[in-house]
Amino acid sequence: MILQSANLEAIEVEALQTDRYLEALLAAVERRAADVPADATVDPTLRRAARRLRDELVRTHPSFRFEERLARRLADAAVRMRLATAAGGEAEAALIPFPTPLLADPMLAAELANPELAALLGVREAASPTGVEGAAGVMAADPVVASPTTAASTPRSDALTSPLRPAGPRPLLVGGAVTSAALSLAGAAFVAWRLTRGAPADPMARAVRAARAAREAATATTTRLTAAGLSATVGPVPTRAGVHTLNANLRRGRPA
Amino acid sequence: MSGRVVALDPDRTLVRAAQADPLQFDPLYRKYLAQVYNLAYHELGDHHEAEDVTERTFLLALGGLPRFQEAAPEDAGPEASTFRVWLFRIARNVIANDRRTQRRRPTAALEAAAGVAAPDDVEGGAIARSEASAAWAAVRRLPGDRRRAVVLRFVNDLSTGEIAGILERSEGAVRVLLHRALRTVARELSHDDDHARSGRPGAGDPGAR
Repeated sequence: MILQSANLEAIEVEALQTDRYLEALLAAVERRAADVPADATVDPTLRRAARRLRDELVRTHPSFRFEERLARRLADAAVRMRLATAAGGEAEAALIPFPTPLLADPMLAAELANPELAALLGVREAASPTGVEGAAGVMAADPVVASPTTAASTPRSDALTSPLRPAGPRPLLVGGAVTSAALSLAGAAFVAWRLTRGAPADPMARAVRAARAAREAATATTTRLTAAGLSATVGPVPTRAGVHTLNANLRRGRPA
Repeated sequence: MSGRVVALDPDRTLVRAAQADPLQFDPLYRKYLAQVYNLAYHELGDHHEAEDVTERTFLLALGGLPRFQEAAPEDAGPEASTFRVWLFRIARNVIANDRRTQRRRPTAALEAAAGVAAPDDVEGGAIARSEASAAWAAVRRLPGDRRRAVVLRFVNDLSTGEIAGILERSEGAVRVLLHRALRTVARELSHDDDHARSGRPGAGDPGAR
């Protein structure tokens, strides 16, 4: 145990010396110094390998065509983000930084199936246990389905507690509007369905229809009599249901 | 939050401007394009895949920028750019996604070694290409995080603290990673040099070049 600990310490010391050497070596390149720092404590083979890596690991640059194409694409995306912010209202945009519509792009949404990446970008962790990665990614980028409890319940606490993780409240404001719209649509569909249905034939429905017709008839009669100036002297007008009851009683020999 | 706000993040002004107006993302893009592309290229070994990863990285960064917060772990150096660390972490994850979907290990691209020697020095060019290929191949044979640490240190000139932030390890762990990676590369290169010396006397001697 002690030996293991001593070995660990030894390699840490060596690693620190190597790191200092690398720092000096790379700084020498930056200041275009011709000399290479010599550090006797660092193994010469390591120094040689470091110099070779510095000289021979080439730095490449993407083509100018690619650079400009991507710059244009980023500018287009930036314009879309601006428009989305403007459409959402400036006050809300300032208070709640919604994940942008850019992240709902199918190509990028697929990337968000990686939970660490989703956490880095401040989007709900989108890893799907069923493996439906693309769809899960799109859903995750959608602010409507983002849940404030998701981040707390995720097992990837290392990524989520990282200080580099973008923080902020989860957007939920749009949820109410969409739910309301969905309920309205359901209501409209029910009314349409109800109107297209024929009149029900059960006795209760017939009774309801009769009562409504009688009420309408009574209202019409009262209106006519009021127009003729007789409202104060005329008693209650028998309704159709009342007439039916009267006739039935008369048939049974009961008094009215 | 356990991190502290870095006093002098070199990208703070650019990041805040881009957060206020996404159209202002362009300077950040131009500043880090080559670095992100280099990381992708050295990881994937293919120009087209590197371009694809670079494109996705910057689009994701632009999309996530409104929620980015400037903060750094305790062991990051004072010069560390938290935006750069954040951007490289996005790139690292996009590369991992790419690898996961491709499910393949690309072969080393020898074209990376081209242009090391002067074009008129045919023999020197051939030797330099061979040695660069050896260095490149040695790095490519390193295991995941060691290889990434070497590329981030030697190609992208990132500090140990920044690499620690990107790889989500402690700074001490990154130092050990780099040290072990250098040891492995040194062993492989000396092995290659021995082979070269036995086949072509004097070729592996640095003084001969």
